[in-house]
Amino acid sequence: MRTIRNVFRRKLRAFLTISGITIGIFALVVMGAMAEKITLLVDGGTEFYKDKVTVTEGESHGLGGDPMSVEKIRSLENMDEVAVASADISITLEEEMSATFGMPDLITGTDMRGQDLETFPISFADGRDLTTGDLGKVIIGSDLVKKLDGRVGNTITVRGREFEVVGVLNKTFSMPDKTVYMNLSDAQDIFYETLPEFIRPNLDKTNLATGGTIYPTPGTDPDQLADKITAMDNNLEAVGPQKFQDNIAATTGIFTMIVYGVALISLVVGGLSVINTMTMSVYERTREIGIRKALGASDGMIIRQFLGESGFIGLMGGLLGLGFGAITISLLNKWGEASGNQIFLLTNRLVIGSVVFAVFLGVASGLYPAWHAARMNPVQALRHE
Amino acid sequence: MVILTANNLHKRYQLGKNNFVHALRGASLEVVKGEMVAIMGPSGSGKSTIMHLMGCLDRPDEGHVQLSGRRVDNLSGRELTKIRGKEVGFIFQGFNLIPTLSAADNVSLAAEYAGTSRRKARDAADAALADVGMGERLNHKPSELSGGEQQRVAIARALVNDPRIVLGDEPTGDLDTETSDEIIEMMRKINEDNDTTFVLVTHNPEISDACDRVIHMRDGQVTDS
Repeated sequence: MRTIRNVFRRKLRAFLTISGITIGIFALVVMGAMAEKITLLVDGGTEFYKDKVTVTEGESHGLGGDPMSVEKIRSLENMDEVAVASADISITLEEEMSATFGMPDLITGTDMRGQDLETFPISFADGRDLTTGDLGKVIIGSDLVKKLDGRVGNTITVRGREFEVVGVLNKTFSMPDKTVYMNLSDAQDIFYETLPEFIRPNLDKTNLATGGTIYPTPGTDPDQLADKITAMDNNLEAVGPQKFQDNIAATTGIFTMIVYGVALISLVVGGLSVINTMTMSVYERTREIGIRKALGASDGMIIRQFLGESGFIGLMGGLLGLGFGAITISLLNKWGEASGNQIFLLTNRLVIGSVVFAVFLGVASGLYPAWHAARMNPVQALRHE
Repeated sequence: MVILTANNLHKRYQLGKNNFVHALRGASLEVVKGEMVAIMGPSGSGKSTIMHLMGCLDRPDEGHVQLSGRRVDNLSGRELTKIRGKEVGFIFQGFNLIPTLSAADNVSLAAEYAGTSRRKARDAADAALADVGMGERLNHKPSELSGGEQQRVAIARALVNDPRIVLGDEPTGDLDTETSDEIIEMMRKINEDNDTTFVLVTHNPEISDACDRVIHMRDGQVTDS
């Protein structure tokens, strides 16, 4: 109570200082929630890639690559180290690549040859898994339910074709949330029509893929397998777990650093404003500090008093910043839900971390002013007008 | 029994780079337990400085200070802080209450600094305030109290830890004559009832008249006690 009264002795100044911290923590929470979402997406990718190799031909675009033949992918099964090579088609859900933040929604078609070897945990919120016979049927990720109106049993339109939804996935906070899964042959129909008309006559539609997913035999190191595939045919781009880390995780890591960097800069500004406020407050209360010391307050008690006040400023700023940040995130996510584009994730560690950090910032910023107050000579402090 | 001894005290303060004030030049005095003593002298005679040294707020450059037979001028800052909290009570000119705290909190703060638990400190504060006739105004802030009332709170604060000695620096300095007389009478009564030792630095002849003894100072020395 005494601490709170002391902080609000100068109401406007307390309000402005707390606002400074609030803005910093707000930035940290909102941008941190963005980074958390991306981190989860990458973690999901890392999890998915940990025991397999993906293969594309020619220039990789990140999402699949140039058309390649199913035969060529299947031929990899001739290698001793390969258990199954499944052919896939991955293309964006939207025909036009719209400018979205984060990852675009995807259509993935697969021949499901690797289904029994898949270790990536996927469970169903509703409905069932796809089987090889399910032509004209799809399962969809949780972020797409609202966007496509895709409840189980509904018919949805994907790239101008109608599909029946047979299953909805549980949220994974990763790529599957934004993906429509279908049989390879359905995806081949769609992919075929995206290709330029002049090359279509030379292509066998049923032999079309954009890439393959290679499941190694037990005991095979997927990274070594990827190297071996690339060495065998240098038209093939094979990506194992390590390379995925190097490519994707490294780039998103930089993004995460930028995001936190911006937030930290605003917090440094907030911290400086706490130092300023506490220094002013100590100066104004020089005489009071003299009285307290005359009454027998030890240096430690004076330090605790002022650190308590600066820590309280930090706590208030932290809670307000977290509150405003959480509201903003939920509004933006609600707004993004319709387009399946929820780019923020407020994790527990972010909630706790931001408030703890705000208190720490307040206390750290109060250290010098508090130390200065404690070191005052009581006689001189008492003479201060 | 001598409770306080100042022996040949010297103190210089530095104001500017080459600007020193020689506030005390070999001042000595003794105070006996249960006495009420006034220290008088013109401005700059060193009477406030000697009070600060006796109250363990500062250390002399030369000379000794003894409180209850124990030498205190060579103690560490930490030990001086403890003595200030437990063995000395201060009454300042201009009351010097903490403006954000109620009367009761101002008094209990002194008890808390001396190591009393918050609850016991509050009980002691209530009792000390009742003793000075402020039992009805416990929760008033200093700004809601008159000058005389504020000085009563300050006296309660000086007495709450039952100190060996109470030091006052112009305790009636900011009060009108009538209120000043009340405060002097109150200190005298506490002195007589509880055998509390008072040393009061003052310009006010009414205080010196009420005291057992007057110590005169001039130019940093005691001229007459």
